Amino acid sequence: QVSAALKEGQVTPTELCQRCLSLIKSTKFLNAYVTVAEEAALKQAEESEKRYRRGQPLGALDGIPVAVKDNFNTAGIETTCASNMLKGFISPYNATVVQKLLDQGAVLLGKTNLDEFAMGSGSTDGVFGPVRNPWSYSRQYKEKSIPKSRSEDKESHWVITGGSSGGSAAAVSSFTCFAALGSDTGGSTRNPAAHCGVVGLKPTYGLISRHGLIPLVNSMDVPGILTRCVDDAAVVLGSLAGHDPKDSTTVQDNFKPFELPSVTDVSKLSIGIPKEYHAPGLSSEILSVWAKAADLFKNAGAKVIEVSLPHTRYSIVCYHVLCSAEVASNMARFDGLQYGHRSDVNESTESMYAATRREGFNDVVRGRILSGNYFLLKQNYENYFIKAQKVRRLIANDFVKVFRSGVDILLTPTTLSDAVPYVEFIKEDNRTRSTEDDILTQAANMAGLPAINVPTALSERGLPVGLQFIGRSFQEKQLLTVAKWFEKQVKFPMIQLEEVRKHDHGVFQHQKSASL
Amino acid sequence: WVPVVGLEIHAQISSNSKLFSGSQVQFAAPPNSLVSFFDASLPGTLPVLNRRCVEAAVMTGLALSCSINKKSLFDRKHYFYADLPAGYQITQQRVPIAVNGSLSYSLCTDNKMSQMVTKTVRIKQIQLEQDSGKSLHDDTRSQTLVDLNRAGVGLMEVVMEPDMCCGEEAATAVRGLQLILQTLGSSQAVMAEGQLRVDANVSVHHPGDPYGVRTEVKNINSIRFLAKAIDYEIQRQIEELKNGGTILNETRAFDSKLGCTVPMRDKEGKQDYRFMPEPNLPPLILYDAKSLPANTNHQQVVNIDWIRERLPDLPSVKRAKLVEQYGILPEHSFTLL
Repeated sequence: QVSAALKEGQVTPTELCQRCLSLIKSTKFLNAYVTVAEEAALKQAEESEKRYRRGQPLGALDGIPVAVKDNFNTAGIETTCASNMLKGFISPYNATVVQKLLDQGAVLLGKTNLDEFAMGSGSTDGVFGPVRNPWSYSRQYKEKSIPKSRSEDKESHWVITGGSSGGSAAAVSSFTCFAALGSDTGGSTRNPAAHCGVVGLKPTYGLISRHGLIPLVNSMDVPGILTRCVDDAAVVLGSLAGHDPKDSTTVQDNFKPFELPSVTDVSKLSIGIPKEYHAPGLSSEILSVWAKAADLFKNAGAKVIEVSLPHTRYSIVCYHVLCSAEVASNMARFDGLQYGHRSDVNESTESMYAATRREGFNDVVRGRILSGNYFLLKQNYENYFIKAQKVRRLIANDFVKVFRSGVDILLTPTTLSDAVPYVEFIKEDNRTRSTEDDILTQAANMAGLPAINVPTALSERGLPVGLQFIGRSFQEKQLLTVAKWFEKQVKFPMIQLEEVRKHDHGVFQHQKSASL
Repeated sequence: WVPVVGLEIHAQISSNSKLFSGSQVQFAAPPNSLVSFFDASLPGTLPVLNRRCVEAAVMTGLALSCSINKKSLFDRKHYFYADLPAGYQITQQRVPIAVNGSLSYSLCTDNKMSQMVTKTVRIKQIQLEQDSGKSLHDDTRSQTLVDLNRAGVGLMEVVMEPDMCCGEEAATAVRGLQLILQTLGSSQAVMAEGQLRVDANVSVHHPGDPYGVRTEVKNINSIRFLAKAIDYEIQRQIEELKNGGTILNETRAFDSKLGCTVPMRDKEGKQDYRFMPEPNLPPLILYDAKSLPANTNHQQVVNIDWIRERLPDLPSVKRAKLVEQYGILPEHSFTLL
């Protein structure tokens, strides 16, 4: 809708950009942005405006303010990965996906906050501090929360965004941008999407280029898309997907951008409910939302059946072995020699390397490097790495079997519960949290399948609960079609944020209806 | 005493650009002027395989009578060093591009080149891998200068089985390989320009006994020094064992000034390289006339048969032709070629 508004001249790209920039300033307490590229953004907006005046916009994304997670390289704008290792690092090149957005005329507002090097499920472990979930400040949450005493104000009750793409999710959720890029390795786009009440799409591995995305696990990472509605995700996907010669893991097939039908007949669909996703720790609230969703499909005539993905329970351990092994490898390049932080210690190359890495990485990163190197040792390789690869194949085959048996889409919860307060979350360490939180999302990364979080309902505490759809490889069109239908049925409520209301304007009303 | 000599030869591939990036390959360019983002290991950059390098390796494999693996894999070999920006080298440890070949070479049994004997050395494998950068240690200023121009240049590592027995055999075999590479054009193989580097594995044993402990000899800068270094090392080992000592499985450097080998302070030999598959490169699939799918773009695939048909005459073939056409003596054909 805002796209249409731009076209019709109801609002100009510079107005839109300025409004977003000032909203970013008033929501600074969310800590969603690491860097705001104000000047560059306004310049891009001006260019876009010129194109609209000539009647020649580049496409649906022209003039649309977007944000990008700070682990994507952006030329001329700092890329930090929320780590001391890359503080001050100004990349000389744009990631392919960033370049594609810019080529479509999108206005890049800035880089969003994350867990350091995308390791975490809370967006709490970066050097710039934790990201706050905008819903912490929503009327819906405040109405439902019971302050323990008068002295306790919203300051201590704020809830996490989930992670690791928490900054991007918060940015989209708080209306400071219309779409944001995240990354998804074990659920890092879908998890914060669920907690922040936005759409989070993890595309099929190999569909979107990873060139310029600073890798966590090369064989599982994908760029993720966060938007306020499913249609927007389809638009962004259309501008990003396709073969990139710079990324040898992207498929060569031509990708055809698609529009989603507004009316869908789900009675021909077969929806699978994997019983293993009724995981220990799943809140009864989410269980009930999941069951209601299944009924929704049933009542619409779809075939809803229970299926089994028997190797699900091994996926977390398998993921930890493969993830830390790749992390140990990928982080080997950070030695301070060519770029990034370099320690002052310089008695020898080795001591400089060691000091640089100790100073530059947080405990989470260092922990994974250590365990990863352990798994890759000659004497351990067979028992850990190779074994994990074999288990990974089994997990992927579980999905193949289920899809082959006639199931079109899987319906599962995205998270075990709604967002927890920050003070609760930090009681457990990063590794424990990741182990718990990744369980519902990470098998899709193992298998390379597309998956999407759709905001579904509010919990008793007034916080978003989302559900996840998992589809067949490269069948994003079907996945998003079903997701859109579901989105329409559940009519997830809009966040009521005072800061956003203050910026109210005719056009922002359009914004609030969420779509491009 | 039976000396046993094997060789690991690194030949720089003659190509316009590097193995996984588009930066130029050129000798003696200004430091750090031929370095792409990928070569500098900037985070987020990915390797893209250079087709010409694959063709060079296939050509070389065919010329050495190897089996070309239609499917080969890339791996990461991890170690920390200033001239290895990524902290790992991309190589082919599990399944290299070519295996099980051989190289024939001829030795004169006397000084007058009147009697020639043909010997064969088995080629264990040929693998594609990245070259490292260069580091210069400036001890006076206690600093190390790093030049990454060479980082990422394509190498073919040719492994020769321990079928040789002395410096002369090794030197002749290397000269033979050099000539083949230059004839193919797959490498210019000039040792002085670092395009050909040879490491020797040397051990000795008594006839009938199992093979002795071997040492690796590095830092050999010419074929002449190669023969010298190997012969010195063989003698050193024999003397050591004769005196009741033992041979350590170590890496030794050849000191050309002193004409001897010395232990290297580098503990490179005992490192665990934590090999891991390179996740950013799919398996390398090569085709031949039979397996080539219909409607494939000729530019997108490497066809082994196509390369085989276009191989130039190898030196051994050329020599045979000279002997036949002009009736010269075989030993003279070696002088000519």
